[in-house]
Amino acid sequence: MSYLEIDHVSIGFGPTNNRTEVLKDVHLSVEENEFVAVVGFSGAGKSTLISLLAGLVQPDQGEIRLAGKVIKEPSPRLGIMFQNYSLLPWLTVFENVALAVKQAFPKYNAAEMKEHVEKYVAMVKLSPALGKKPAELSGGMRQRASLARTLSMQPEILLLDEPLSALDALTRAEIQDEIINIWESDRRTIVMITNDVDEAVLMADRIVPLTMGPEATLDEAFPVDLERPRNRTTLNTNPVFRHLRTEISRYMVTLNEDSKALKADKIVDLPSVMPIDFSIYPHIPARGRRRRDLVKVLDPTTTFFK
Amino acid sequence: MAEKSLDKFKYRTLRFLDVTGFTVFDPVVRLAFREEPNKQLKALFNYMLIPIVFALFCIFVWWQVAPNHKTKSGEVPTPDVVWNSAMINHTFSTREQTKERDFLLVGDARLAAIAEVEAMAAAGTAQLAKLEATLAQHAAGNIKQLADRIAPLQARLEIIEAQSGVINAEMKAAVNAAAAAIERGEGTAQPLLAALRAEDEAKDAGRAAESFIKAQIDDIRSDKYAPLNQARLDVNAVADKLQFLTKRIDFLTTSNRSIRVAAAEEQLAETQGKLAEATTAKAALSEAKRAIRNESLIERLEQQQYASAMTIYTQINRSLFTVFIGFIVAAMVAIPLGVLCGLSRIAMACLTPIISIFKPVSPVVYLLIFQIVVGAFFPDPDSHPLFLFLNSLPFLSTLAINPALIFSACTVAACAVWPALVNTALGVATIDKDHINVARVLRLGFKDRLFKIIIPSALPLVFAGLRISLGVGWMVLIAAEALSSSDGLGKFVWDEYQNGSSFSFANILYACFVVGIIGFLLDRMMIILQRLVSFDGGSTSL
Repeated sequence: MSYLEIDHVSIGFGPTNNRTEVLKDVHLSVEENEFVAVVGFSGAGKSTLISLLAGLVQPDQGEIRLAGKVIKEPSPRLGIMFQNYSLLPWLTVFENVALAVKQAFPKYNAAEMKEHVEKYVAMVKLSPALGKKPAELSGGMRQRASLARTLSMQPEILLLDEPLSALDALTRAEIQDEIINIWESDRRTIVMITNDVDEAVLMADRIVPLTMGPEATLDEAFPVDLERPRNRTTLNTNPVFRHLRTEISRYMVTLNEDSKALKADKIVDLPSVMPIDFSIYPHIPARGRRRRDLVKVLDPTTTFFK
Repeated sequence: MAEKSLDKFKYRTLRFLDVTGFTVFDPVVRLAFREEPNKQLKALFNYMLIPIVFALFCIFVWWQVAPNHKTKSGEVPTPDVVWNSAMINHTFSTREQTKERDFLLVGDARLAAIAEVEAMAAAGTAQLAKLEATLAQHAAGNIKQLADRIAPLQARLEIIEAQSGVINAEMKAAVNAAAAAIERGEGTAQPLLAALRAEDEAKDAGRAAESFIKAQIDDIRSDKYAPLNQARLDVNAVADKLQFLTKRIDFLTTSNRSIRVAAAEEQLAETQGKLAEATTAKAALSEAKRAIRNESLIERLEQQQYASAMTIYTQINRSLFTVFIGFIVAAMVAIPLGVLCGLSRIAMACLTPIISIFKPVSPVVYLLIFQIVVGAFFPDPDSHPLFLFLNSLPFLSTLAINPALIFSACTVAACAVWPALVNTALGVATIDKDHINVARVLRLGFKDRLFKIIIPSALPLVFAGLRISLGVGWMVLIAAEALSSSDGLGKFVWDEYQNGSSFSFANILYACFVVGIIGFLLDRMMIILQRLVSFDGGSTSL
């Protein structure tokens, strides 16, 4: 049995008569200390998958197990890093991290707390901005603060929800290296969601593509057999890297085409709609018989008015 | 180094202006630090000079238009009259303070004050005599100039009267002649009628000419003679001051607290002497009773405070105090209830009908309700322990707290509670979903969730609501005070309206400015608080 197991999970949203199945029959096993990247197009249900893993939403069918135990609610063993930082804007970087530390280690005294927070803020190289509020920080710095907050809780599993998609290319590369360094020095299980194939190949041990939604599911994984540490500059010329990248990209493109084809095959009956000619009605309020006539004309079964 | 700290100072000042909402002074600061002078001058011209010119233009229009409109309470006051009334109110207030000081003075200070006041009074009397002489001179001058101006008109009037007398006599003769002709059987009725008509016309013409001249004479008489008016005002001012000095001397001597205590003590000593010498039981008893009465009188006199009249400043203090009491009560009710409504849809559903029904109720209705309810709680406010206690406190005693203040405050609270409540509920209900997720992931408890996430995130909207509440409260309060004759700015306006002296209208306009300026300052205060707690505008620490 693997460490983190997603066992044939399905989830959908909306009322029963208009339900969208977002994920269907998703199955994935993650080993301890493994770095798994989930690659998918936007709108495929990636964020739903991470919310499921974090215990923020519950699956309709199936189970998610962490070391054999079903995840029913957010737990300190799972650290999630959100796509849009989710720092509390009225707290400084220190206070934001401290809020998490206080929850994870309630027995710390003030000095231990300070030391702990400063250690993790230093780890993401944000020490100079310790006393600043999120509004005074750049996007990259905010994401670092968010990373520090997640790491400071010392979770067993890190869930990264497109952590770098809102950043510019340079900052992105820098924080990618940061995450890899931290992971390499302090091994733990990471599930990262991304829409960037290069990023996935550079960072992960295994890449799992998510098919197009609705009813998205995880497809066959691509193992990444590249030696660590991986060098960003030399990697571009590495034939294994190039092959893998091309393969995944091609696969993703077929996914896209498949889904387009799927969509094209579907024939949707459009309602027979006739525009109403309002000009034949005088511009005075209708009462009595005229109103009844009007209502007959505006019958919801023949028009789009409801 | 010095330049850097100067720069820091500049940015601090700019930041301060930004937070307080006085960005209009931004170019002044930048200009002082020589930052792009041309741009700043242009901004100054556009956003400061032109508005000032516009304000001056408005005052000018007021000045021109006001005197043309006569009302029952006299002319609409011009800006200078309103300014004058502000000064009079200020003088009145400082004089009340002086009298209070005098009342409490003891020992050498009192003697020195007496000497000073007597010197001032002597100088004032001399000045008054001089001014009265000037007044008499101007009065004579006025009579003379009136006579000079009226004399030619009078002469013309006499001429016209004489002329019309002659014409009237001629006309009468013509009429008589026509009548006589008919008697003689020589003429017809036509000439007689014509003659009568001519006589009437001549009389009318004569009267019209006379009344025209008389009207001119009346105009001259009612013309104000500027030097005389000025002299009168001067005399009044000095007489007023002298009266005040007389009053001061009274408070420094006979009405002074220490003097009255001393007199009572003297009487007590006398009574005690008599008591010691008393031989009969009846005499001893009556003297002893008198001594006890004297003792309690002394005690009362020693505690006595100066009974100051309500000045505009004490009215302002009282109004501000009332509005803050009402506002704080409203906030204490609105914020917890608003948080509850924002958190629980059930609570929201329970409170929505109450809010919808009681929000649009007129403040007047609340005033009457609270007047009745509060009145029932304090049937005899003068001896109620609560008011006795409140009025013995150092600052509050000057505000003369009474049931009227309490029900005014309740009315303010009843009207101010709604905006704060609705805004707080909205702020809590619309909290960012990401922040809720953070709370869930961090597994914060209810207390942490409330105080670390929900309330901080709702604070900007809470303060926006409180700001509206304070504005509403201030407006409601003035009306409530006017209607219920509860001391404060509203009562000041109402009293002025009722007593209808020549200064009333000016005083009302003055109060209008006072109410407006205080309302503006309260609003500014709330804006600053709002800016300080809002997190979206970056750091707002000063």
